Amino acid sequence: MPERNIEFGKYGARGIKGYEAVARQLDALAGYIATPVTARRGLQARLHYLTRSDHARAAARAAGLTVTDRTLRAWLEGRRAPSRRNLRRIEQAYRTVRRENVARYLVARLNRDGRGTRVEIHPLNQSGVSRPRQRVVDFRALNVRRWDRIVAAWAAGDDQKLDDAWADQIVDLGSQWGQYEYVTNVGFAA
Amino acid sequence: MTDFGAIDALLAGARKEVALPPAEERRALREGLNLSRAQLAKVLGVSPSTVGGWESGRDPSGEVREKYAYFLEGARTKLAAEATEAAEETPAKEISAEKQNDDHADVEPAAGEDDDVDTLATPQPCVLCGQPARHQVAGFPQHLDPTECQAAEPAQTSEPAVPVTPAARPESRRAPTTGRRGQAGRGVKVVPVGRRMQPADSPDLIASAVAAALDEHAGDVEAATAALVKRAIPDAMALLDHSRKGGRYDVIAHPWLPDVLRKQSSRGADQIWEARPNWARPELPAGEHEVTALDINGAYLSALKTHLPIGQLEHSTGNEHNPRRAGVHLITPPAWDHEDHLPNPIGSRDEPGPLWVTEPTLRLLLRLAGPKYGLCDPPQIHESWTSGATEGLLEKFRVALKDARDRAIGEGDEVTLEYVKAMYSKFVSTLGESNYNRELYRTDWMHLIRSQAFANLWWKAHRAYDEGLLVVRAMGTDELHVIGDWRAVFAEGRGVAEVKVKDAYRVGVARDEST
Repeated sequence: MPERNIEFGKYGARGIKGYEAVARQLDALAGYIATPVTARRGLQARLHYLTRSDHARAAARAAGLTVTDRTLRAWLEGRRAPSRRNLRRIEQAYRTVRRENVARYLVARLNRDGRGTRVEIHPLNQSGVSRPRQRVVDFRALNVRRWDRIVAAWAAGDDQKLDDAWADQIVDLGSQWGQYEYVTNVGFAA
Repeated sequence: MTDFGAIDALLAGARKEVALPPAEERRALREGLNLSRAQLAKVLGVSPSTVGGWESGRDPSGEVREKYAYFLEGARTKLAAEATEAAEETPAKEISAEKQNDDHADVEPAAGEDDDVDTLATPQPCVLCGQPARHQVAGFPQHLDPTECQAAEPAQTSEPAVPVTPAARPESRRAPTTGRRGQAGRGVKVVPVGRRMQPADSPDLIASAVAAALDEHAGDVEAATAALVKRAIPDAMALLDHSRKGGRYDVIAHPWLPDVLRKQSSRGADQIWEARPNWARPELPAGEHEVTALDINGAYLSALKTHLPIGQLEHSTGNEHNPRRAGVHLITPPAWDHEDHLPNPIGSRDEPGPLWVTEPTLRLLLRLAGPKYGLCDPPQIHESWTSGATEGLLEKFRVALKDARDRAIGEGDEVTLEYVKAMYSKFVSTLGESNYNRELYRTDWMHLIRSQAFANLWWKAHRAYDEGLLVVRAMGTDELHVIGDWRAVFAEGRGVAEVKVKDAYRVGVARDEST
């Protein structure tokens, strides 16, 4: 695609992919447990979240927490502590399950019955680019009405799909949309 | 061929507007009957605030004007009757006469002659002379007695095409102009459209929201106020959007924020010091003093006028202040040697060392360090997060709120007053990362606006000190305790430039008692 940047940052521009900024903002809206999994409090909170119901247990298993119920009980009671690899798995499973659980409500809030949500796109940072190579890239805002694909891709953790879904939205910025492939920040609220 | 009958009918229909009593009398008449605005509004089919408008100088027109005039006339007769009744303790003849007039037109001696003659409850201008007449013949208000009619021709005819004498015109015009003069207090906003001026087409969001709420709750003031306060935040955001139409800058609602503006934990605070004053004078001169606690009206409303960063904050280092930019700055504050008679402009901070302050605090310090005041050394700026700034970003929004507030105070409209207060105070408190307002995440603005309110209070304290008052306390956003004749320094009232008395107390022991 001609709009895509090939060697981003060659002349010193800084920024992140638009879909990464979107995923970051969706993560912020999802509201994960703030305490890290390495602390006992954070571990317990995540384990409780993943073992609250049979449905939660099944979701956790599907998300990759394939340990026996006996091990889970031992972790919950504090008789054993999970290994570092298992801590990573717990964290991964927790984030996946949380995203899946939140996605439905997030979509409803972002779509707002079809009215959509205003999204602000803060352009990439050109302060490291030499003056002659700097281009005028303005702050832009657009209303995104359909969030289903974006949120679904984010919940599934599929970066390629999220990138495609986000690019489909920002083509509405007009022929210059390629300038907004990389951004400093994407701001919206649900 | 033109249909002369239609023209005659048109001429007959085009009556002069009924004269209404002056604005202040309208209110007195309604209140004399213990009727609320809402009750009257419901009967007339308009909103209560419209009735309020009529009572403060606006004039209705058309059919509703006649209805209103009818009500006012009825109220006046009823009040007059009640007054005579109370005075004489006899059955009021006027009332019975009036009632009979309504039922049978033939009670009036003059009216018995013609079937077409009707009596009017509200006097309408006579088609012959323009003076108020109490009778109409075939739909034309006129005097039945030629001596009453001051026109040249004593026309007693019931023919439809009555020539209006030109001499009567000036007299008939006089009444409406006096009414309009009273209305001159509230100007009409006009804008140039092409070559001509037109009334500005700006929907008054606040007034229409209040009117709608009052309508919905059938004039129940408390319920309407509660409903309005509940929707104050979205309404404030709508008003902000409306006020930015055609503006030079977009309101950027979700910028990237530096770490100093982020909360350390979910319950914690960020690193910005807002310089909230909490200062008390350490000692007073001997003797007994009368202390007055003054309250600054609408402190946060006034503080909306401040230099606000427009876009994303950018980092810079070095001891330089650019007046075209605004944001937050890491400074080492100067020493303050006037603690015994003036509050410290950076508030009551216990910790020494550098701190993050906002633009208003820094500007206050720089101004105090300048040649005009020379109260302290200039602060040392280490680093800054700033963006291009403007004072005009919230200016239209502030003026809209201030105008609505002033009008509400003038009209004694408590509903609008509460609504406006909720709008600006909730707007300021939910500007940041509040879950109650997800449309705007400007933590930097929230800190700047609050600091501006504190800086404004500091200047009030300084003014009191400068004019020879004894400043005793400066605390919170809007409280200032002074000793002395403060009325010579501050205007008392409810406007944003005025102060009101919160409390008055005595402190110290009188000298003769102590000895």
